[in-house]
Order: sequence, then structure tokens, then C-alpha cells
Amino acid sequence: MNIFFREIKANLKSLIIWSAVMILLIMIAVAKFSAFAGNPEMLNVLDAMPQGLIDAMNLRAFNLTTINGFYGIMFIYFGLMGGIAAAMWGSDSITKEERDKTVEFSLVLPVSRSRVITAKALAALVNCIAFVLITWGVSNVAVQSYAPDQAFYDFLNLEMAAMLILEVLFLAIGLLLGCSMKRYKVAGTTAVAIILVTYFMSIYAGMSENLDFLKYFTPFKYFDAGAMYRTGQLEGIYLVITAGIVVVCVAAAYWAYNKRDLYI
Amino acid sequence: MSATIFKHEFLMRLKSVIIWSISISALMFLFFSIYPGFAADTADLNQLMENFPPELRAAFGLNTMDLSSVVGYFGFLFIFVQVCLAVQASNYGFGLVSIEENELTADFLLTKPVSRAQVITSKFLAALTSLTVTNAVLWGITFLSIEMFREGRTYDAATVVLVLSSVILFQLFYFCVGLVVSLLVKRVRSVTPYSLGLAFGTYVLSAFSGIFEDVKLELITPFKHFDPAYMIQNGSYDTSLVLLNVAITLISLAVSYWLYTRRDIPAVS
Repeated sequence: MNIFFREIKANLKSLIIWSAVMILLIMIAVAKFSAFAGNPEMLNVLDAMPQGLIDAMNLRAFNLTTINGFYGIMFIYFGLMGGIAAAMWGSDSITKEERDKTVEFSLVLPVSRSRVITAKALAALVNCIAFVLITWGVSNVAVQSYAPDQAFYDFLNLEMAAMLILEVLFLAIGLLLGCSMKRYKVAGTTAVAIILVTYFMSIYAGMSENLDFLKYFTPFKYFDAGAMYRTGQLEGIYLVITAGIVVVCVAAAYWAYNKRDLYI
Repeated sequence: MSATIFKHEFLMRLKSVIIWSISISALMFLFFSIYPGFAADTADLNQLMENFPPELRAAFGLNTMDLSSVVGYFGFLFIFVQVCLAVQASNYGFGLVSIEENELTADFLLTKPVSRAQVITSKFLAALTSLTVTNAVLWGITFLSIEMFREGRTYDAATVVLVLSSVILFQLFYFCVGLVVSLLVKRVRSVTPYSLGLAFGTYVLSAFSGIFEDVKLELITPFKHFDPAYMIQNGSYDTSLVLLNVAITLISLAVSYWLYTRRDIPAVS
């Protein structure tokens, strides 16, 4: 418990910075949306678009003149920011002990290594949940002037659920990297590499039908805002894949950390 | 300028430079490898787009990019290359001097018979050389990919050269801003969150600026200072934005020198 609270406190600054950036992003975006809202000319244009074009541009069912369609576009950025933040929290909460040369101290405390990871992972998870709640809260306030309907709230809740799942996924990956990499610097670098590669892969996969199979390898494609909007739910197969990755990563993290040589 | 420091810094970063160069080459190559199929599809698409009002095309950043042309496609994927370059350059910038304090080697370095100005100059030049190596690889792989996958389509080499020439200024911006921020804060515990924040923050800002016009985000994000769409459409840089960019870079560098020569360095206790 002590470790948990200590971690929450240590992570607080990072959470505040990320939340500030997120609030700024939402405010800028909503300010920009005001130019689009209810512009009937845009609506006609979008209606007249051929299906093939809409697919190619990944516009899907989005109508950018409504707040619902607009939030569909926003989800890519929510997912990207949540993913980066979670991966950083996951790997950093483990590696910072070695970086700051405090690892001997924390591991001679009368708690097992497993309990150390549990406390740290839970603290990072609390951060992730708080980040989603802040995004959700700020979004709710920011869109009030556009009188959103019930469908918007349902869609927003679904998006936030998807964002949280994405965060948990990257948190688990970050945790595994932090626990298993020999040197702390390598963990951070690898986390960056995974984020960049999967993000570019998600764009790459959308560009050609032959590359469609890549969508199973990049979490940024697991929860497509267009599909969520149309079906009103998250796709089961990706939930299963995500759960699998999370379980494997967390289990491997415990296993690796328990038998790890410390870098001092 | 101390040759020893330069050499040490350069070699220390060599592995990272090689990994980044390979990654950027792979990115360029993979995206270009699907260009032939993509170009055929988008040729029809572009004709369709011609019929839509300019507001709509602007909204999706298609007003200036003809994705079926070699240069247009290059401009489209160049943004992703810029993201990588931004992360790399800010990594080097944030880590340039802060790493010594983290690894507790700062007092060792600073007791050597070289002035602090010399230390930072040598480090700066070494990092600049590293960035230039990546840059050179980028030039090579760009023309190689274009030649391999253009399938006889013609392209304007001068525009490609123009876009690639902007890379060094782009890198220096992230490098110098990273450096000055690392000196302004008390301690950089870990470089990665800072550099990811800077690179992705500016990227997301510019992406928004693309979807909806008219908010003045152009001013603060280098992705807009060196917007490939603008460069390709006009065949030149947006002079005022580039000057702004260079000014920020130079100020950051000057302030970094000033701060570093006066910095309190925590010693091993």
C-alpha cells in the first residue's frame, strides 16, 4: 500500500502535464469545429460523395458537420496520446528506480518483488483511468454549446471505453519492457519504437487492401472510430486479442522481474 | 572544440544513428513500394475530387496534394518521415548535456581542461554530424525509392530537393529547442517522455491545423513551417515561417550556451 501511494504521488506531475495537453487539444479542436458546425454546404457535399471515395479517405460514416462525426476524427488523437502516455507510465514506473539509483532501497523493503510490481502497475492503472476520466469530463463540458444528443453521449462513452482499453494494452507492453530490458535506457527506446511502428503501420494498413491483414498487428486499428459509430460496440475479436496481449505481457513482466539482475 | 569530446560523443551516438537511419529508410521504402498500385487508384479519385468544392478538399489536405503523382505521394509520406526525424532530433537535444548529470559523469567531464563553451560546442557539432548522417541516408533512400517505384512516371527533381533541403533546419529546430528546455528545467530524469511530447505534440497540432483551417497554429509547429504540401504546391518555402523557425532555433541555441556556461552542476555526493 505504501508503495502504491508513493507511486501515485510520484506520477501525479506527469498526469497533470498530460491532462493539460489533452485539455488544450480538446479546446483547440472544438474551437476549430465551430467553423464547421451545421454548415449545410458541407453536408450536401459529403452526402454526394461516392462510397469508394469515402472508404479511401477513411471518412467512413463521418459527417464532420455534426459533433458526433467530429468526435470520430478526434478518437485517433485520443488513442495516440493515451497510448503514448500509458506506455511511458508503464515502463517508467519500473525503470526509474534503476535510473535514479533507488532500486536497492526499494527491493530491500520487506515486500516481494511481485508485490512491488503489483503496486506500481495499479498506480499506473489509476493514472490511466484518471486520464480517460479527464478526457471524458472535458469533452462533455466543451461540447455543451452544440447541444449534443443522446447518441453523442453513447458514442463518447464507447470511445472512452476504447481509449481505456488501448491504454491498458500499452501499459502492459510498457510494464513488460520496463521489467525485462537489461538497461533502463533500452526500455524507453523500445517503447518509442513500438509506438512509432504501430502508428505508421495503422496508416500503412489503411492504404491498400492487400495490407489489410496488418490490422491485427497494430492496436491503433483495433478500435476503428467509424466501425464503433456504425455498430455501437467494440469488436469482439479485438477485445480477445487485446486481453490475450495484456495477460501475456503482465505474466511475462512478473516472471522477468522476479529473476532479474539489477543494473546498478 | 575538442576533438576527443567530439569523437566520444559521435561514437556514443553511432548505434542510435544507424538504427534511426535504417528505420527511416524502411519507412520510406515500404510506403513507396505500394505507390504503383496506389497511383492507379488515386488517378480516378483525383478526377472525382476535382468536382468537389475547395473547402472540402482543404479539409482533408487534398487541395494541394495530388497523390497519384510521384512528388505528391512523396509529400504525403514525408510527414511521417518528419515525425521520426523530430523524435530523433529532440532525443539528441534533450539528452545532449542532461545525460551527463543523470549518469553522474558531469563532474568528471567538467574538470577536464576545456571550457564549458568548448564542451557544449564539441557536443553540439558531434550531434549535428549525427543528424547530418541520418539526413544523408534520407536523401539517398528517397531517390532510390523514387527511381525504383516510379514506373516511368516523370517527376520534378527540383521539388524533391527543395523538400529534402528543409530537413536540416527541421532537425535543428527540435534539437535546439530540446537542448534549451533541458537546461531550463532543473533536471531531465528521462529523455523519452520529453522528446515524445515535443515531437508528437507539434505533430498533432499541425494535423489539426490541416483538418480545420484558420486557427493560427502554423506559427508554433515546425510541421507547418516546413509543410511539404506548401513546398510542393509553391515550389518554394514559406519565407516568413521559415525565418520564424530559424529565429527560434538560433535564440534557443544562444540561450543554451548562456545557460550552460552558468549552470549549477550537481556533483556525486
